[in-house]
Amino acid sequence: MGELLNFFVKNSKWFVFAIFVVISCMLLFNGNPYQQHVFFTSAGRMASSVYRTGSNVTSYFNLREINDDLNRQNAMLQQEIVGLREQIEDFREKSFTDTLVPDKGVEHFDFIVAHVINNSISKPYNYLTINKGSKDGVRSELGVIDRNGVVGIVSNVGPNSARVISLLNPNFRLSCKIKRSDSFGSLVWDGKDPRQALLEELPRHTVFQPGDTVVTSGYSAVFPAGLPVGVVLEDDVDHNQNFFTLKVLLFADFTTLGNVQVVVNNYREELEALKAGEDRTDKAKKLGL
Amino acid sequence: MNNFTIKFIIAFLLLIPLQGLVFNHIVLFNVAVPMVFIYLVIMLPVTLGTNLSVLLGFLSGLAVDIFSDTPGVNALSCTVLSFVRKPVFHLYVSIDDDLAGRSPSTRTMGVPAFSKYLFTMVLLYCLMVFTIEAFQFVNIQLTILRTVASTLYTFVLIFAIDCLTLRRREKKL
Repeated sequence: MGELLNFFVKNSKWFVFAIFVVISCMLLFNGNPYQQHVFFTSAGRMASSVYRTGSNVTSYFNLREINDDLNRQNAMLQQEIVGLREQIEDFREKSFTDTLVPDKGVEHFDFIVAHVINNSISKPYNYLTINKGSKDGVRSELGVIDRNGVVGIVSNVGPNSARVISLLNPNFRLSCKIKRSDSFGSLVWDGKDPRQALLEELPRHTVFQPGDTVVTSGYSAVFPAGLPVGVVLEDDVDHNQNFFTLKVLLFADFTTLGNVQVVVNNYREELEALKAGEDRTDKAKKLGL
Repeated sequence: MNNFTIKFIIAFLLLIPLQGLVFNHIVLFNVAVPMVFIYLVIMLPVTLGTNLSVLLGFLSGLAVDIFSDTPGVNALSCTVLSFVRKPVFHLYVSIDDDLAGRSPSTRTMGVPAFSKYLFTMVLLYCLMVFTIEAFQFVNIQLTILRTVASTLYTFVLIFAIDCLTLRRREKKL
């Protein structure tokens, strides 16, 4: 017994070393970002409070560009309002003769405005942290957009902050379509340039040109359809394969992210319940029931 | 020893948030990442037991992992780095009687020996971090470029920090 104890004391540094290496490897190879405990992410209490303090200072830095963008967007929205007003007038005229069902699409999505308090673009797997958490209604797997386009998807939620898987993270695949031809593929980052991503799995017959706009497809419950994502940069196509892969220049500028919006889909539970029902009937069919 | 404890706690509380708030964001040309917080491992006195230094190294790496959302990458590298710290040190300095309980720095070791020690440690660390990253993305050229660039960048910054702390201490004396 004494000898055994002696052995452990004598070689204790190897045991201590091995223990910490094992703990590190457990953290390292836990690949699923949704399964990490919130304490070990930048949305934890310690890290987020530090980032909050830092962002109180740095949030002023890009105000000029943000203002320019907002002005541009304001002008666009103004245009849209004018167009919509005209449409409403049209419908009003028609409603004298026709009984129209009011469009319920408006309350389909809610938006929570949040501020980015930490962001990275140079790592192979990038994340950002926002200053809204479960107290403000942010939940896991909600979409995040900014004024230019899609930013990411919420993974871990703390009470006052949340961690977002950035679009610059290969764990995140976004279902997109080319606006002109409506053919859809999946957008994923290749880890090279924070301004570019790849649009993969496009069917071979797709028609496209450099400069075409890429938007979200709306096939998942996370993002509404038609949100801008980027433009097709070049037809870097390997014609030997069954699917096209295009380079896409992203609209969202990840180097100067400031204010973002979290997209809350009010019909999400309904959609998920439908999908669960589908899966169950599929399984039943397979079993021959 | 007590003096060192206070010094380490202050350095920890300064360097870890700085790494998250500042150094992670001053990446040069999108390749050179300054890993300044490994100064925490480099400043550990040579006579400090391996058990304790591995523990401190692991905690430093874990804290930076939490701040930069890289689960395990820095924790693993820091653990290994603090484990090989003593052998690396003895590559360049054979006797450590003079250095009992004192942190390695240009003042205690002299500029040539400290530079070599610092460079080896930084190179080892960058090699480990970017090799772990390369498991996720296989791009040899980029990995080598990132390792070399980050090593040089980190080396210069840590050397500068070492000079700063040196001057302050001399003024007090």
